[in-house]
Amino acid sequence: MQRIIDSILSHKDVLVFIILLLSSLYLLVDSNYYHKSKVNNISNNFAKVIFKKTSSFNEYFNLKIENEKLVKENLDLKNLFFFKQDISNDSTLTNSKYFYSSAKIINNNFSFSKNYLMIDKGSIHGINREMGVISNNGIIGIIVDVSENYSSIMSILNTNSKINAKINKSFHFGTLEWAGLNPSILNLNDVPKIANIKIGDTIVTGGMSTIFPENINIGVVFKLDSLSAGNYYKIKVKLTNDMTSLRNVYVINNTHKKEIERIKILSKQ
Amino acid sequence: MNTLTVNIIIRFVLLVLIQGLVFNKFDLFGIYDPYVSVVFILIFPIKINRISFLIISFFFGLTLDFFTNSLGLNAAAFTIIAFLKPSIMNFVFGNFYDPHGVKMIKNYIVESTIYQKILYVLIIIFIHHFVMFSLESFAINQLIIILQKTIYSSFLSLIFCFTFIYFSVQNER
Repeated sequence: MQRIIDSILSHKDVLVFIILLLSSLYLLVDSNYYHKSKVNNISNNFAKVIFKKTSSFNEYFNLKIENEKLVKENLDLKNLFFFKQDISNDSTLTNSKYFYSSAKIINNNFSFSKNYLMIDKGSIHGINREMGVISNNGIIGIIVDVSENYSSIMSILNTNSKINAKINKSFHFGTLEWAGLNPSILNLNDVPKIANIKIGDTIVTGGMSTIFPENINIGVVFKLDSLSAGNYYKIKVKLTNDMTSLRNVYVINNTHKKEIERIKILSKQ
Repeated sequence: MNTLTVNIIIRFVLLVLIQGLVFNKFDLFGIYDPYVSVVFILIFPIKINRISFLIISFFFGLTLDFFTNSLGLNAAAFTIIAFLKPSIMNFVFGNFYDPHGVKMIKNYIVESTIYQKILYVLIIIFIHHFVMFSLESFAINQLIIILQKTIYSSFLSLIFCFTFIYFSVQNER
């Protein structure tokens, strides 16, 4: 003990120096707003790193609830987004035409030539035939059968499926069909050869039908055949959507559908 | 009170006033100020024991901080150079340096070579400026700006400090 005190006393000038330095640093941090915030920032960051490590475990247990919350929020945002787009396109519209409801894929096929998917929402959730189904990345298909709690979707990976699509840049329309082999490649037919198309152009929904709203992503031009006979391109489209791994999807309800169909019938008569 | 104490008190007050009222508003090229106040450390009598030297330097810096409203900034810088001063003098003056303070500061000024004088003043000024600017910006990623500011201000301070030291020595004669 005596030795410790002795060694401290023999270095007492160093001790005084350290005390003075610390007190000046304390004054610096305590009395200057900038330095105070900087130190707070550093200590916060330090604490954040530790809390992040510990909370990642807790987060894992809440993952399911969080996921559902996010899907719901996404839905609200999508409604808001399309509401805004409609207003910018047509100022007379005061309300969005399209409403989105979320659903989960419970059965997914992509290995047959006529594929169908199943979702966990049905007629009691307000789902009807001929509604479009999309995911975050692109379109999935059209509802063909509805039961009380479940609905069946005709996938775009179905040789019977025909979807109206357009080239985002040049506004040329075509029909999207599946050849029945590769689940990520679709054919875009009926695009006239006068259209100026390059590989890499984006393909979006056309908005000619009442099922899908306009400008939903489908894919990009992957292969272009302009040399073959006929007046139309043979375009191969690579989907942005991975049809082999789907989970959360959105069902689109067009509220103006009946009106549009009625006026179509009237014009035919 | 002996003349040494009176001398220190006069220097204290004078340098604080000169630095706080005149040189803090110098602003060469908008940002560079000469820090003449370092002269207080440079010509502080070696005879006075180290602990009082540290405490006086601390309060000297603190008084300067009242003028710039940056409490603790100069105090830290002055405490550090006061602590390092004996080792720097030993490094620069070599055998000529005596730690017991029999020789006066005047002896060092008159009898050393010009390189020793410049080196001594420059090292202390550089450390002071570097500590002060880095504490002021308080961010590691601004190191290059800190160094740039330190180097330019150091040369400015060097010129002014030399002038001041020669004046004070002439007065003592």
